[in-house]
Amino acid sequence: MTAAAKTRRNNTKIRLSTRQHAVAWLSLHRECAMAALRRLWQQPASSAMTLAVIAIALLLPALLYVTGKNLSQFDNGLAQANLVTVYLQADVDEASIEELQRQMAAHERISSTRYISAAQAATDFAQWSGLGDVVGSLADNPLPASIVIQASDARYETAVQLQETFNGLPGVDFVQMDQLWLQRLDSFLSLAQRAVVALIVVLSLAVLFITGNSIRTSIASREAEIRVMNLIGATNGFIARPFLYSGIWYGLLGGALAWILLALLMLVLRGPATELLAYYGHQYQLQGLGANASFALLGGSAVLGWLGARLSVSRHLTRF
Amino acid sequence: MIRFDDVSKRYQGGHEALKQVSFELEKGEMAFITGRSGAGKSTLLKLIMLIEQLNQGQILVSGRNINRLPRRQIPYYRRRIGVVFQDHQLLFDRSVFDNVMLPLQIEGYDRHEAARRVRAALDKVGLLDKEKLNPITLSGGEQQRVGIARAVVNRPQILLADEPTGNLDPELAAEIMVLFEQFNQVGVCMLIASHDLSLITRLKHRMLTLNQGRLIKDEHQPSRTAAAVAGTSFASQTASRPASPTGHRT
Repeated sequence: MTAAAKTRRNNTKIRLSTRQHAVAWLSLHRECAMAALRRLWQQPASSAMTLAVIAIALLLPALLYVTGKNLSQFDNGLAQANLVTVYLQADVDEASIEELQRQMAAHERISSTRYISAAQAATDFAQWSGLGDVVGSLADNPLPASIVIQASDARYETAVQLQETFNGLPGVDFVQMDQLWLQRLDSFLSLAQRAVVALIVVLSLAVLFITGNSIRTSIASREAEIRVMNLIGATNGFIARPFLYSGIWYGLLGGALAWILLALLMLVLRGPATELLAYYGHQYQLQGLGANASFALLGGSAVLGWLGARLSVSRHLTRF
Repeated sequence: MIRFDDVSKRYQGGHEALKQVSFELEKGEMAFITGRSGAGKSTLLKLIMLIEQLNQGQILVSGRNINRLPRRQIPYYRRRIGVVFQDHQLLFDRSVFDNVMLPLQIEGYDRHEAARRVRAALDKVGLLDKEKLNPITLSGGEQQRVGIARAVVNRPQILLADEPTGNLDPELAAEIMVLFEQFNQVGVCMLIASHDLSLITRLKHRMLTLNQGRLIKDEHQPSRTAAAVAGTSFASQTASRPASPTGHRT
């Protein structure tokens, strides 16, 4: 082999197969992601600060979401029990009560009734409120007797109709729709839902800007490297990639931190909340974020981090 | 390989760095650009690398008008050109090995193949035993050699050097030139900007002289290699090997 031929052979560019390219590309991405994680680790103070801010920004909407979720349990539970309470006058006589009960039994919109005497009401109250001594010390029972009506359906109109029917009948003091506070709860919940959406939008922007700013700083601190890479033929995509991975890590770790904070908060609240909920019946339990919302939190925060990094990269890498 | 047709470059603010410069560099040719500071040497190299855009004329590299290159093609174009900087532009946050690896990483080489090439390049510049060191711990001459290894690791057809010996003493400078001649001998087209007249006049390569942006002299001189000037045993070995411009890839 002549010297020239030998040189030619040595200089032949080794061509890689598509599969080799794919493998190289994948390992490049993995290395890039790990290197980005290492860089976060190398600056623990500033990374921790950024992550804490991201976590708090994400914690607020998550917390509101969980609150709404817990409150809507009542909505679901009580909407089924469309209750109207008919409070009786203190001096009501047996005949009136019987008359009322007969009317109620005949009413097509009523599925069941329950009579609670004044004495029963006092006992129940003493039991529920824990104020038994106070109630016992009173000379007269201040609580009226009542009839609780379970409506045949869950519609608000039915409750209103029942209220109108029984209001003003002999022996009736006043009729109260439990639906009323359900209505309030309903409107509060839809308000809370809107607040969650608004908060998610606003705080997502905050996360976007926080990561964007962190990425801007790290671009500035790696200016020399970026300039050299640019000179020796790195594409913008190649130069941007580590920063995009940093953004993804910021988002993902910030989201994970928010999740942990929320879980801790739930743990602290579990005891008192369970006690409180027990008053309303055993079907109610303090609910956490749940699997779907947890994935949404982590995925959403990773996407936000990536977007923030993209914004920053497209603004600041063009300078080189 | 590189052709300048009536190239002019005016910087913002009106300074005319190059005025109607024309020359052509053949495949496998080695040439110096010389002239005082501010004569336009660096600008000329920057135009070839597309760091700066010309205002007039055209530059052809391998027969292609580089000023018509789409923006996103520029990185791929730059990969075919090795560049050695006066301040070597090494990254001090990684080892010598990783510095030389950078161009291959950018091209997406398989790690194993890349490592082989990095070692070959480091061997060529005589720094194989320092691959694990941080370049900041090396001497100026060694740092420059790392820069050269990085410039040639992906085997470019063209090697540009901007004052590569600017910070080195005469002996080290001559050694660097020996290296350049070796690359030239395997067919790499070399264009070296230098104001070190005492060194480059002794080397007897083609010499382009710039003065205030104009090409005032284009001397073809009979070849006398840097190896002979440096006079080291290592250098004289390689100097006796004939140049083989036909052997390089296109």
